Amino acid sequence: MRLYRRITVLSICFISIAGTVSASDAVQATSGAWLNPDTLPTLIFSLISLLIVLFSIWWVKSGRKFKIREIPGLKAVDEAVGRATEMGSSILYTPGWGGDIQRPTTIASMNILSSVALKTAEYDTRLIYPTHDPVIMAVAQEVVRESCYKAGHSDRFKADDIFYISSSQFGYAAAVDGIISREKPASIFLLGTFEAESLILAETGNSIGSIQIAGTDSTIQLAFFIVACDYTLIGEELFAASGYLSGNESILSSVKAQDIIKILISLFIVTAMIWAAIDPSSTWWVF
Amino acid sequence: MDRLKTRWLIFSGLAVVVVAAYLINIKFKTEPSPATMKAYEFIETLPESSVVMFSFDHEASSLPEIQPLALALLRHAFKNDLKIIGLSLFAEGTAIGYDLMTETAAEYDKQYGVDYVFLGFKPQYISAILGMGESIRRVFPEDYLGNPTDNAPIMSGVDSYDDITMVVSIADGDRTVYWVEYAGARYGQEVMAGLTAAMITSYDPYLSSEQLYAVVGGLRGAAEYENLLDQRGGGARGMLAQSAAHLYIIALVVTGNIIYFRNRRRRGGK
Amino acid sequence: MRTKIPLLICLIFGVIMFAQYFSSHELALSVYNSILEWWQIIFAFTLFVGVAAFMKNSLRGISRGKDTPYKIISLVGLILMPVLAIIGGTKIGSPFLWSFENMLAPMQATVFALLAFFVASASFRGFRARTVSATILLVTALIVLLGRIPMAEMISETFPKVTFWIQNYPSMAARRAILIGIGLGSMTTALRVILGIERTYLRGE
Repeated sequence: MRLYRRITVLSICFISIAGTVSASDAVQATSGAWLNPDTLPTLIFSLISLLIVLFSIWWVKSGRKFKIREIPGLKAVDEAVGRATEMGSSILYTPGWGGDIQRPTTIASMNILSSVALKTAEYDTRLIYPTHDPVIMAVAQEVVRESCYKAGHSDRFKADDIFYISSSQFGYAAAVDGIISREKPASIFLLGTFEAESLILAETGNSIGSIQIAGTDSTIQLAFFIVACDYTLIGEELFAASGYLSGNESILSSVKAQDIIKILISLFIVTAMIWAAIDPSSTWWVF
Repeated sequence: MDRLKTRWLIFSGLAVVVVAAYLINIKFKTEPSPATMKAYEFIETLPESSVVMFSFDHEASSLPEIQPLALALLRHAFKNDLKIIGLSLFAEGTAIGYDLMTETAAEYDKQYGVDYVFLGFKPQYISAILGMGESIRRVFPEDYLGNPTDNAPIMSGVDSYDDITMVVSIADGDRTVYWVEYAGARYGQEVMAGLTAAMITSYDPYLSSEQLYAVVGGLRGAAEYENLLDQRGGGARGMLAQSAAHLYIIALVVTGNIIYFRNRRRRGGK
Repeated sequence: MRTKIPLLICLIFGVIMFAQYFSSHELALSVYNSILEWWQIIFAFTLFVGVAAFMKNSLRGISRGKDTPYKIISLVGLILMPVLAIIGGTKIGSPFLWSFENMLAPMQATVFALLAFFVASASFRGFRARTVSATILLVTALIVLLGRIPMAEMISETFPKVTFWIQNYPSMAARRAILIGIGLGSMTTALRVILGIERTYLRGE
């Protein structure tokens, strides 16, 4: 994996050099505007969002505190790990098939994995992590290794339990189903980007009586998880996980920023709605 | 053990219902939905030789549902003498897409390279979609058969989304979202989708905000499209089995609630 | 240093990709195209990592006698398919394509078909009129299930219209709200990664 990291860094260096060479060639060209006017509304909204996030970080660092409401799915993480420990069973954690490491949902899932791995290392509970992407596998191994180290039990890290299965959707689903049926984990975490395999995994977990905590960014699969799982993280609850579980102020402040932006969007929608009702021909809100 | 027995009863019942319905082979006439109609009218009114891009963004697993849909759309495009550029953003969709295109093209005596071309598969779908907005040849310097893309007569004058009238994403997952968000939002490319039934509702927001031009979904969508083309295909054939499955699930839900209320009354009585 | 360099790379490329979106200048497009091309190249290397990790895991499992039959079949499949592709090509009529169409595709479709059975068992278990909101959900589900089949039009023309209304108004409103939340969550997570606040992907920090 260290070799892989070196290859990645070297490749990125090549990109930088290639980009610089291309850029120096392109400096001669004069066509194209520096700012595309069609993207102006997106730029304005992006800058406003960035300012709100930075303001929230400053707000928290200046000593003000705020609360995040209780998220049942995240509160149940302790319960899930405890159940597996008491039953002498294992925990299965999988990030789903639909995403790769660049997706924010996968990164959010890694945050929760870090907390779960810390607890499993403390209680010496087996954590099985099958995945469809070799990069996610490499990152997950580092995350779990670090958590074991933080727990003071580096020896409890088992790289074999974090493995790549298949990039094929139903090959992955069949393999994870097989693992669930054979290993019978007491707790199952389905956190990440899922597609059609979500209900297959959730129902199999339900059939063996596991406690299941799920969360995804797909509204369709959320519906399946709500029916089949004990706890479901809906929408941005999954992204708030890292701040909720770690208590890190910088991360919590960005969660607060999300709420502020959401309020602004709601005000915009209500204003546009009222305006459209009064003047149906107006289109100022259309981008 | 009871839980397992119930599960097996449910599964067996569904299997019997679907197999029996499929064997009966009654075809329903289905009225087209507004979205299917919109897709049909778009292709129907396109001038001859307009270039349409078909992206086979699905896996082999959804082939039974996707194939009737893809065939209906391809047949319509070939029938109207449109030029078709095919590609795949899924490794498994590549061979399937190529097979579907060549088989359908043969039905209408279309020539590879002149009337249609299949560019093949490109990994990292986001960079592929974004890259084609600048240059299709740069992303696909060769087609699926290894011929230089430049040499295909169909590619003459076609090099980015500016030269493509519509992208039709045949998908069983969220690849169409990337077409909408990258090709559509960034390059203004019109995108239409042929989807599995499970994915239709997740694209409704894009449809209603007109970020997605039209959606033809599932076996029902395929049956509706076949109806409009006045052709028989897999969509119409599968509608009875699908309808039977729906009715079975309705019966299950009602039965489940009857059992629930009966048990609740008994517990209340005790 | 081990974490500073990746964070710096992340910041630089994050800012470049963010900024280039708003520019149509040749310079921005040139850099952007280069990055896209190299992105493809980096991805290709990850396939090697996956294959190596899979083979290592399978061989270790076989040596320990754990799930041996499954591991052997997996390895045979992993080795056989590229061998068939190299020997016979991947075009129509090749052994590779025959294996794909007659073994892989049916197996995948079979697992996908399990979804129908699981939907049935989940519906039987999940749609119970325990509370008022659960009852509303139950009735809505029944209407939509009925409205999606051609027979519903024979019973009453209202079913498809009500189904259309449910899918396009209350259901879509809820979905849009969740999508906005997810979009904001994704945006702030991405911002945290670019600014280096979020470092879990590095080494679990």
